[in-house]
Amino acid sequence: MQEVKRKYVIPGDIVAEGNLKPLVNVYRNGNLIVATRIGITESNKDGAKVIPLSGIYFPRANDIVIGKILDHSSLSWSVDINSCFNAHLPAQDIFGRDFSPAHDDMGSQLSKGDVIVARIAIFDRTRDPILTMQDKDLGKIPTGELIKISPTRVPRLIGKRGSMIQTIEQASSTRITIGQNGIIVVSGKDKEGINLAINAIHIVEVEAHTSNLTQRIKQLLNVPESEIENEDTKRNHEINDTEINDDKVISNKIDKEMGMMNSNGTK
Amino acid sequence: MVQNRSLIDESGKRSDGRIIDELREVKINVGIIKNADGSALIEFGKNKIIAAVYGPREVHPKHMALSDRCVVRCRYHMSPFSTDTRKSPAPSRRETEISKVIREALEPALILEDYPRAAIDIFIEVLQADGGSRCAGITAASVALADAGINMRDMVSACAAGKVDDKIVIDINDTEDKEGGADMPVAYMPNLKKITLLQLDGELNSNEFNTCLKEAIRGCLKVFEIQRSSLIEKYFGDEKGLNE
Amino acid sequence: MSLSKKSTIIVENLRKKQMMESISTGKRLDERSLDETRPFEIELDVIKKANGSAWVKLGKTEVVAGVKVETGEPFEGLENSGALIITAEVLPIASPHIEPGPPDEETIELARVVDRGVRQSEMLELSKLVLVPGKIVYTIFVDCSIINVDGNLLDATSYAVVAALTSCKLPVFEIKDDKVVDTGRTQEPPVTTIPVSVTTVKIGDYLLLDPNIEEEACMDARLTITTNSKGSIVAMQKGLKGYFTVDEVKSIADKAISKGEEIRAKLKELIHHGKKE
Repeated sequence: MQEVKRKYVIPGDIVAEGNLKPLVNVYRNGNLIVATRIGITESNKDGAKVIPLSGIYFPRANDIVIGKILDHSSLSWSVDINSCFNAHLPAQDIFGRDFSPAHDDMGSQLSKGDVIVARIAIFDRTRDPILTMQDKDLGKIPTGELIKISPTRVPRLIGKRGSMIQTIEQASSTRITIGQNGIIVVSGKDKEGINLAINAIHIVEVEAHTSNLTQRIKQLLNVPESEIENEDTKRNHEINDTEINDDKVISNKIDKEMGMMNSNGTK
Repeated sequence: MVQNRSLIDESGKRSDGRIIDELREVKINVGIIKNADGSALIEFGKNKIIAAVYGPREVHPKHMALSDRCVVRCRYHMSPFSTDTRKSPAPSRRETEISKVIREALEPALILEDYPRAAIDIFIEVLQADGGSRCAGITAASVALADAGINMRDMVSACAAGKVDDKIVIDINDTEDKEGGADMPVAYMPNLKKITLLQLDGELNSNEFNTCLKEAIRGCLKVFEIQRSSLIEKYFGDEKGLNE
Repeated sequence: MSLSKKSTIIVENLRKKQMMESISTGKRLDERSLDETRPFEIELDVIKKANGSAWVKLGKTEVVAGVKVETGEPFEGLENSGALIITAEVLPIASPHIEPGPPDEETIELARVVDRGVRQSEMLELSKLVLVPGKIVYTIFVDCSIINVDGNLLDATSYAVVAALTSCKLPVFEIKDDKVVDTGRTQEPPVTTIPVSVTTVKIGDYLLLDPNIEEEACMDARLTITTNSKGSIVAMQKGLKGYFTVDEVKSIADKAISKGEEIRAKLKELIHHGKKE
């Protein structure tokens, strides 16, 4: 069993001391690793980080997001992905490389207000995110109930290898599409199932940081006793399972004026 | 400023009943503005101030965006009914200056390079003012920034100290601000131990200044405890046991 | 000059579809029926430095109103009348779609419509607030700060003004040696009636009361009607680029009177209860 020390922190609190590698939502100040956000710490031999409990969605390349079409220019649609930047979906992504505004009508494919599930193909510090819908299971979502949760709770809602969300889907007979940006669409045949799923999702959102959550959700969904294992020792891994890209270690940028470290990360 | 009348009575009580090293009561309610990304309502004595943060978000107009870091916009504004005499809703020169010093008090704590091409908007609305409103505003804004999940090096806590009846007192109220000998608001990053706001209105000799600064920082640290407990209460209210 | 604008809020087509399907069965997405208003709460005397104040929560829309009383010159043509000035500001804390700056045409319309409702109902007997006819009168400011936007700012602001004015303590001024003196005593405001504003919006062919922000983003037209305690209509305002049929207007007016009575009773109860505390 890995030794995992966990604390509740606010910005400025100490996460760990010593030579650990700062991961996300932390920075190094001399011998200390300091939190930059409110959340739950995790430090082990791989490094120290804070799992945030608040914050808007900040785009990451390869994330799956659910967005709504706002407008279009002659070459792309602009898409609201519930973030600080609007994203763009190039017309070529749908029409192909020989797209031409002269003979291809963008409005025939997507109109203002349409909801799509897409992947962020490109995002870096110099430009707005670029989307693609070319992978399997991506595209316009024609029906379903749309809800929003805090993006910081999405990993908990998905669960380890999708275990939490699959449990909810199966118990409520619904299909749930989750965007990393906190937008969720629930579709199903009957209203009761959809409401049950939405209820479960809201409970996960509010109680994401608590223990025994999996058990409570299964009880809510009336999942038989035999299937309730001791999920919570695995909870650490669920939260680890966020596929954090190395790009996200931007919090490790150190301000030289603060007299802490050189910007290349050496002391 | 020369005082005209005594503001501390024979038993050592100030105009609002406090002794010289006593802070007014501070209460913070996190998340009060549901539309905002982060927010806090602070009651600091009779000050009643809301801070709300929207961000990071798109910069409008787009050409104001910076390529390597985010833009911070800060607005300190008083509602017309917030002061003894009704104030016109239009922004005054005082509000403009205070907006600037508040922004400069909070920016050192924010990791701006994490949000290139975006903006962080901080709005401070004074519903009732009673001396020390900029310190209360900074304190609330820092909580709102943490509530919004903005990457911060440290919190920012603020408190004023001053001179009344030739004594150094902590946390100046409205009467003491208007009639006292000196008023010194200070904002401080409590873990990094750095000062981010420092202003003085009045006259202090070298010793008085040192004592005043020490008192103001002591006030900032007391205020920090309340910021911290209000955030822990909102986010971890039922599971405090996880903390060591 | 007034300009048609691009809509700031675009509602997802999925949500619109859900909304219309639900409305056609008589229920809105938040479970209300079409003519049901959201629960509202009022806290009085929240700003101690003001002569009167109220914090209103209508659903998630929140407005703080403060009353400040001074003395000054009467308005031209109204020499024997106290002066009443009502303002409203949608603060930038209230919504991601507000840009700080001078009030835009919607905010100005909001303040003027609320003002008209209060003024035309003659809620305050302004003739009782004169010190020296033609020269010195009571000047009553009611300033509203909207702190969270979730639709129907018009009604929420109106309730806040009514609550703040009804519960305020007016200073008693006197003239001594040609100067205005605050005697330190207070008096009850001369309230004659309780104006109640009721806003109805049209979405497709349906009429809904007290829209939330999502419903406002889908509305075609809006009609606000203010009634007084006698059940007479004292002010009306139609907004947005859609239209109403004559029958619709009649039905909205009837509803505004009956609903207005319900809300008036609730307002009175909340104010009475709040004053006691």
